[in-house]
Amino acid sequence: MSFERDLLAILPRLRRFAASLSRDRADSDDLCQAALERGLKARDQWQPGTRLDSWMYRIMRNLWIDEARARQRAAKTFAPEEAGLTVGHAGDRDVEAHMMLSDVDRAMQALPDEQREAIALVLVEGLSYKEAAAVLGIPMGTLTSRLVRGRGALLEYMGEAA
Amino acid sequence: MTDIDEAMLIALVDGELDEVNRRRVERAVAGDSALAERLAQHRRLRERLAGHYAPMAQEPVPDRLRSLLDASETVVPLERPVRRWGSWVTGGAIAASLVLGLGVGRLSREDVGPIGMQNGVMVAKGPLATALDSQLASAQDDAAIRIGLTFQRKGGGWCRSFDGAMAGVACHEGEGWQVQQVLPGAGRETAYRQASSADVRVMATVDALMAGAPVDAAGEKAAVAKGWR
Repeated sequence: MSFERDLLAILPRLRRFAASLSRDRADSDDLCQAALERGLKARDQWQPGTRLDSWMYRIMRNLWIDEARARQRAAKTFAPEEAGLTVGHAGDRDVEAHMMLSDVDRAMQALPDEQREAIALVLVEGLSYKEAAAVLGIPMGTLTSRLVRGRGALLEYMGEAA
Repeated sequence: MTDIDEAMLIALVDGELDEVNRRRVERAVAGDSALAERLAQHRRLRERLAGHYAPMAQEPVPDRLRSLLDASETVVPLERPVRRWGSWVTGGAIAASLVLGLGVGRLSREDVGPIGMQNGVMVAKGPLATALDSQLASAQDDAAIRIGLTFQRKGGGWCRSFDGAMAGVACHEGEGWQVQQVLPGAGRETAYRQASSADVRVMATVDALMAGAPVDAAGEKAAVAKGWR
């Protein structure tokens, strides 16, 4: 039994979680790679007997939040004059990527990060509320209210709310 | 009027309600068509999201990610031919774990192995499909593939865990069984079974998927009779 082998076994699910957090597949594999590197480096902090997948989801999610914050800062610092032109998009590449997305991708991307991560863990990864709240480091009540708001928004974006 | 709020409906769909509250919500839904429609929307949403992302967990892992984990592992070539259920055992569990994790989808077309690829997802074939379709956990003394737990997954649908040369979990989708997880199993040659690491991981998958508790022998039989609908 090795740590690497256990990681390999859950890697497909880690990639899926990364894909549901990020905006495109290239980003998501970068995120996945960063999370694996961080996990391998911090392997001594993982307690055998606890769930490795939850531990890795937490690492990945924290990296993603850091990255999202850094991007926001960079956008504010370096590109204020372009804000009116691109309204939140980084340019042609983003627009093109956006056109290839399915309704589900688009709806997920429109969610605030805190709702998207809750939805991804529970609806896509199949974690229980308790596990998902532990990964995100939030109380159960906070998790359930994010799930309620996030789902309401998804139903609206995806045009099923009629 | 009803006192069932959105959070309760959603918790029902997510399999998070205890028996008492589940009954309460189901009663309220039965007498309120607007509530029933909202519940149906939430069920569809969960299915649609899960269905949308599911294929991503079945894709082959890119080399650059796998190589991070290969550094201290001996890598088995993915092209290693795997023909029959029985050959998984002789190949050795460690070798099989690497092949299983990555190479299951590479079986050739004429292969009648236990797992194949269909529309980009792993599906049970041959003896594994037969066991999942019809084998009862209560009657499988000498079977090559043993069925473990039979349960309903969150959001609806049947799943079964299996063990043998391979261990894992499969869920009924459409006409067949979609394999959710597959690991080297305990095999049938073992005289007394040791708790394998596969057991722990298969149980973790069962826990993550399962809504409520596994069914008993009668429930299993009824589900077989209904063709897993």
